[in-house]
Amino acid sequence: MPNSARKSWEKYKEEEIVRITDAMRGLGYALDLEQVHIGGERYLQSGQKLVLTGKDRYGKRVVIKGSSRPAGMREIEREHEQRTLLENLPFAYRTFESPRELAYGKRASIRYAVTEFIQEERGFLKYSTEEQFFLALKAFKEQEGAHATTAGHARAVRGKFGILSAEKYLADFGDFVRLSGSHDTLLRAHAFLSEHREIMDGYGGFLTHTDFVPHNFRIMDGKLYLLDHTSLAFANKYEGWARFLNFMTLYNPELEKYLSEYVRLNRSAEEYLALRLMRVYKLGFLVSYYASTLAKTEGNLRSLSEKRISFWLKAMDAILADTQLAQETVDLYKKERDALRSEEEMRRQRVLNQL
Amino acid sequence: MKIVLATPLYPPDIAEPAPYIKELATRLAREHDVHIVTYGRYVEPIDGVRITAVDKRDPLPVRLLRFALTLRRASRHADLVYAENGPSVEFPLLFLSFITSFRYVLHLGDVHALERLEHRPLLRLLHNLFKRRAESVFGELPPERPELIPFLPRPAQEFERYERNWKHHVESFSSLLRHA
Repeated sequence: MPNSARKSWEKYKEEEIVRITDAMRGLGYALDLEQVHIGGERYLQSGQKLVLTGKDRYGKRVVIKGSSRPAGMREIEREHEQRTLLENLPFAYRTFESPRELAYGKRASIRYAVTEFIQEERGFLKYSTEEQFFLALKAFKEQEGAHATTAGHARAVRGKFGILSAEKYLADFGDFVRLSGSHDTLLRAHAFLSEHREIMDGYGGFLTHTDFVPHNFRIMDGKLYLLDHTSLAFANKYEGWARFLNFMTLYNPELEKYLSEYVRLNRSAEEYLALRLMRVYKLGFLVSYYASTLAKTEGNLRSLSEKRISFWLKAMDAILADTQLAQETVDLYKKERDALRSEEEMRRQRVLNQL
Repeated sequence: MKIVLATPLYPPDIAEPAPYIKELATRLAREHDVHIVTYGRYVEPIDGVRITAVDKRDPLPVRLLRFALTLRRASRHADLVYAENGPSVEFPLLFLSFITSFRYVLHLGDVHALERLEHRPLLRLLHNLFKRRAESVFGELPPERPELIPFLPRPAQEFERYERNWKHHVESFSSLLRHA
């Protein structure tokens, strides 16, 4: 079973790259020979579209998203519709930057979207913590500027963006608990979310990037560009913050502390609670994701999945207790993780996170 | 004294006049009986302030009527009804002012709503009529609270200025109350 998941991904990837290469050639785009983003542990993730890099006929770098599978095609179509809608959203107070779409359509069996490649001077994590703080804060404020509150607003975005309510969060979390074997921490987390259902809904209806991490955005000329629109949803205001802060638990705990403190100092107590609720929710997702990979992995990768589950449950415990995870715990986990990762995955991570 | 604040936006809404109304109510509640009437499902609580919210997801005519009825009830024996601009407050209040002896002070706190009037002639007409029937019109809006950045020193001077502005604003508000 573990090998078959990897083999079927490799086969799909090879065939799809040939199809996308053929489709793009006629439009004047050529794929790069090396595609780091689709190697390593990428096969464990769902998603039936490939995100590739290439060049146009003048040698300018582009990003090509393509798929011949119905689910992948639908994802690309949806992202295109979201872009169009976001440009004309009547109730958005602020807008955010995203790379320009250069081509979109269907050619042979491939649905594709080509966007400009945002060339960074350096990766997000290479900026000083203070610079990272202001860049991230600006991006969060830009997203929060769109708040769908009325029936008319909901009609305008329904079907184009995900709309997440407390009911959905709780139902999802119920699944996370079930998939992860009803661990005590998860049960306590579920009770915590249920108790504050009203807060989860109260701060709902905001535009948020539910996968707001450095590999989904790029910095150019001091502006942050969002690369992946598929994760944009009208949901709890703090879902994007939560994903980002949980990521920073590993990559920049000082930034995690500063942003969390910023919310506590400048926003209401209810908002700070909403942030904690969302962090717990997002960690539940992460734990259940790694629990679901156990069946698809073996050897070092399986041991790594087990370590990850244990680590993120500790992080969840810390948030439930409203404390920060001890740095020694983070350092020990990172050491164990790196020892278990394959070379190919290490390379993919370095490129993804611009390390 | 009993003060009713009628506002189209209130936190968790982030745009003005939401944060302004929350701050104003917090300060006024130290000396007065304050009741906020707004739109929303969930509203951020303030110690000692009553908040009634009309669900924004109701169809437009239903929520306007509900807002008018809620405001009518809340403003019984009120010394001052302080209304923020914006069609969702202006329309119900105008309606009440025609069928009852309803009186109000207009505050121009929703700058976005004022900007939108430029391209909406009907709403402009509504706003102008609403403005004409107001007992007085008040345009002062204190600046937003300075932000605290965890790794920077507290901006003491900015906070001093902020407090001074609010003190002045509450004094202006009190003079409105004296004339109410």
